[in-house]
Amino acid sequence: MLRYIIRRVLWGVVLLILVSALTFVLFRVLPTGDPARLRAGRVASPRVIAEIRVDLGLNRSLLEQFWLYMKGIFMHFDLGYSYYSNASVKGLIADRLPATISLTLGASVVWLLSGLAVGIVSAVRRRSALDRGAMGTALLFISAPEYWLGLIVLYLFASDIGQIRVFPGAGSYVPLSSDPWKWFTSLILPWLVLAATNSAIYARLIRGSMTEVMGEDYIRTARAKGLSERRVILRHGLRSAVNPVMTILALDVGVLLGGAILVENVFEIPGIGLLNYQAITHSDFPIVQGTVLAGALFIIVANILVDIAYAYLDPRVRFQ
Amino acid sequence: MTRKMRMAALAVLAAACATALAACGSSSTSSSSVSANGIQSPKTQAQSGGKRGGTLTVLNHEDFENIDPGLAYFTIDYEAVYATQRPLFSYRPNTFAQASPDLASEPAEVSSDGKTITVHIRHGVHFSPPVNREVTSADVAYAIERGANPNVANPYFESYFSSLEGSANAKGGPFPGITTPDKYTIVFHLEKPTAAIVLDALALPLSAPVPEEYAKRYDARKPSEYGDYQVASGPYMFKNNSEGKVLGIGYQPGKSATLVRNPNWNASTDFRPAYLDEINIQIGGDTNVIGRQVLEGSNMIQNDPVAKAIVQLAYEKFRSQLEISPGAGTRYIAVNNKQGPFSNLDARKAFWAALNRVAMNKAAGGSLVADVQTHFIYPEIPGFEDAGGLQGPKVDYNEHPEGNMAIAEKYMRLAGYPSGKYSGSKTLALVGSTAHTGEAEIADSTLRGLGFKTKLSLVDQSVMYAKYCGVPAEEIDVCPNVGWGADFPDGQAVLDVTFNGNKIIPSGSNNWGQVNDPTINAAMEKAELLTSREAREKAWAAIDDELVADAAAVPYAFVKEAQIESKDVAGVGDLWNSGSWDYSFTSLK
Repeated sequence: MLRYIIRRVLWGVVLLILVSALTFVLFRVLPTGDPARLRAGRVASPRVIAEIRVDLGLNRSLLEQFWLYMKGIFMHFDLGYSYYSNASVKGLIADRLPATISLTLGASVVWLLSGLAVGIVSAVRRRSALDRGAMGTALLFISAPEYWLGLIVLYLFASDIGQIRVFPGAGSYVPLSSDPWKWFTSLILPWLVLAATNSAIYARLIRGSMTEVMGEDYIRTARAKGLSERRVILRHGLRSAVNPVMTILALDVGVLLGGAILVENVFEIPGIGLLNYQAITHSDFPIVQGTVLAGALFIIVANILVDIAYAYLDPRVRFQ
Repeated sequence: MTRKMRMAALAVLAAACATALAACGSSSTSSSSVSANGIQSPKTQAQSGGKRGGTLTVLNHEDFENIDPGLAYFTIDYEAVYATQRPLFSYRPNTFAQASPDLASEPAEVSSDGKTITVHIRHGVHFSPPVNREVTSADVAYAIERGANPNVANPYFESYFSSLEGSANAKGGPFPGITTPDKYTIVFHLEKPTAAIVLDALALPLSAPVPEEYAKRYDARKPSEYGDYQVASGPYMFKNNSEGKVLGIGYQPGKSATLVRNPNWNASTDFRPAYLDEINIQIGGDTNVIGRQVLEGSNMIQNDPVAKAIVQLAYEKFRSQLEISPGAGTRYIAVNNKQGPFSNLDARKAFWAALNRVAMNKAAGGSLVADVQTHFIYPEIPGFEDAGGLQGPKVDYNEHPEGNMAIAEKYMRLAGYPSGKYSGSKTLALVGSTAHTGEAEIADSTLRGLGFKTKLSLVDQSVMYAKYCGVPAEEIDVCPNVGWGADFPDGQAVLDVTFNGNKIIPSGSNNWGQVNDPTINAAMEKAELLTSREAREKAWAAIDDELVADAAAVPYAFVKEAQIESKDVAGVGDLWNSGSWDYSFTSLK
């Protein structure tokens, strides 16, 4: 098992190096704008631009730049500085991470619980009105863009601009450490919006998986043994059906930790997604690069965790 | 040029205004804060009599670019910088004609040869904590000198201060062009008589004092970190800790900023009333949500571009909370004067004549946020009226804002195309901004109507400038939506960088059409040296006439800017800064 874990971690590191190299190519070799010019402003003289180019190391060869860049990331965890505020990108990401974690973990609890409940009910009551209604609603939420859905719930339920003023609206986020209750209430609408799409997807997944599992011989055996239907569904059916869902959950959480750009923007949650959005609109490449790398790191870590969990649950995996 | 970036976002004010447009006229000249159509104008808002105290909440979806006075060069940066810093001169909210002495105690003295400027500064102005001491002329000298420090790299130092003696070799330390004979006097020595433009530039944030003994250690870092530890000389300061650190305390990039009163500010030395106790700036969020929060909320303003749907909503339901500011810049089509079909004067005139500028402006937001542009010096800039005002010069290709194909075809024939349509084989390369898709498509379709084959590419605005339109080697034929806003009210600040052939540079050129007419270049070089305001006004207006005669570009929008506030805010907008709300004059009702 230990060898398996080491192998997976090493592959993760290799992947991270590849992603870092790709981001270098994207932002330095194929620039969408000259970083020195962007930093200097629009009427800067060629002299100023040249000086900034030297400061940023853009006058060095690409290989040299690549070496310094990789060395900075892997030896010093140095992601550079914002072109505009001069703030450390590493510091900015660390500052924004708690908000993104709050949003992601809360939303994942909501979508997992609701997705499981709806999926199970739909699976055991297939083709009933309840099943059709639930799956129809799921389709609706899957089709609804998060951005649009966010605006709609704000216009309906936000305490400042809503028609029915119930929940705190955009810009109300406070850190958990400063006021737990305000933190909780400020995240209710973002959690619901972020969970809506995912919950619908998970409900359909669970339904499909449960439908298949509930037709298996061992389920029939369990019923024949006289176990209660509740026990058959939850202990025997769900346990098998939930495995593929957990894999996707880990990946979805990894992706969202890289920033839920649209939801964070609509609800003005100062997380990594909003940081990334602001950096993109300002062409602040070091921040975009840093958030891309952070996102990749979260996805790779989530992948490794899923692989390890699989290997733990199914010994055949680690011997393949 | 600060407002140039702002104008990028003006595209956001588009079609939704269209229904409201017909009723929207130009700003009123009445004495009330609202015009006849119920919309506010910075020209008429009351600058005195506000209620003292309270906290203003600012909802901005954009972050600052730089809060260091040596680097600030963006509309929203300016509002914070001019509330916290005192340049030698600055503009009162309702004017963009003449800067008032700010840190300076009186108007500058200019020598008769236009090569020496003497400025006396006020006694009793103090830096905020932790510096606390009185501001002296040496602090102003250091502030300007640090503009040449590569670690600071002020974006306009070379454009406006390069005529100071010895500035060419300046690296951040003293140079002969700036001397301080005593604690309250600073003298600028110029190599040529460009006093007028240097004097204008002294109203930019670079002339706000910086204490050398405190800032030097931060300026030694690459890049300078003085902005993160800055001290204030104005009525407000970024909230800081006992060491003066602002970053992470009074300014959290991308999240928030807090301005509090500067305890060392002496009201008797300042024309700013500074009614508010505190200004909380929240950064980020969706412009539609922010706009609604401001209009329906309390004690709030938005101080960056307002979403087009919100402008419409404000116009229809919250009209007294809407401000429209004229004179926010220009937007025009840059055509390649150097090569290709538009190196021919008559072809350029044909394009101008054919373009439906009314439709272009509807795509940009309509008459609420734009007037049809008829020449290049725009409203509120001296020389605008001399150059033709809103009507513009009376030339046939300028007289039909909705476009006139008969006149266009006449000029195409004069350009050597007997059918009145382009018959060459070249496919024109157009590069426009995704923020102005509608205008770019109208320009493209107009060209095709004149017989051109075109290839239109739409890219992010910053990419359009940095990679295509600002790089002559790319040989772009048409940039359908470039824009410009002047740093100060002078024709030179509008026309020189954008149309002077001597200002074309290989990368980052702002002369997007590569206009390089020796006669116009010579006229500009001559006009730069004029010192009398009247003479400058006439000279630059005459250059504007020549640019129109030369059809150097195809103009379409004199830009106006929309701002919104909550009902209980008595906002005062800065005419000189696209109407952005001035924190030092705005109060709560």
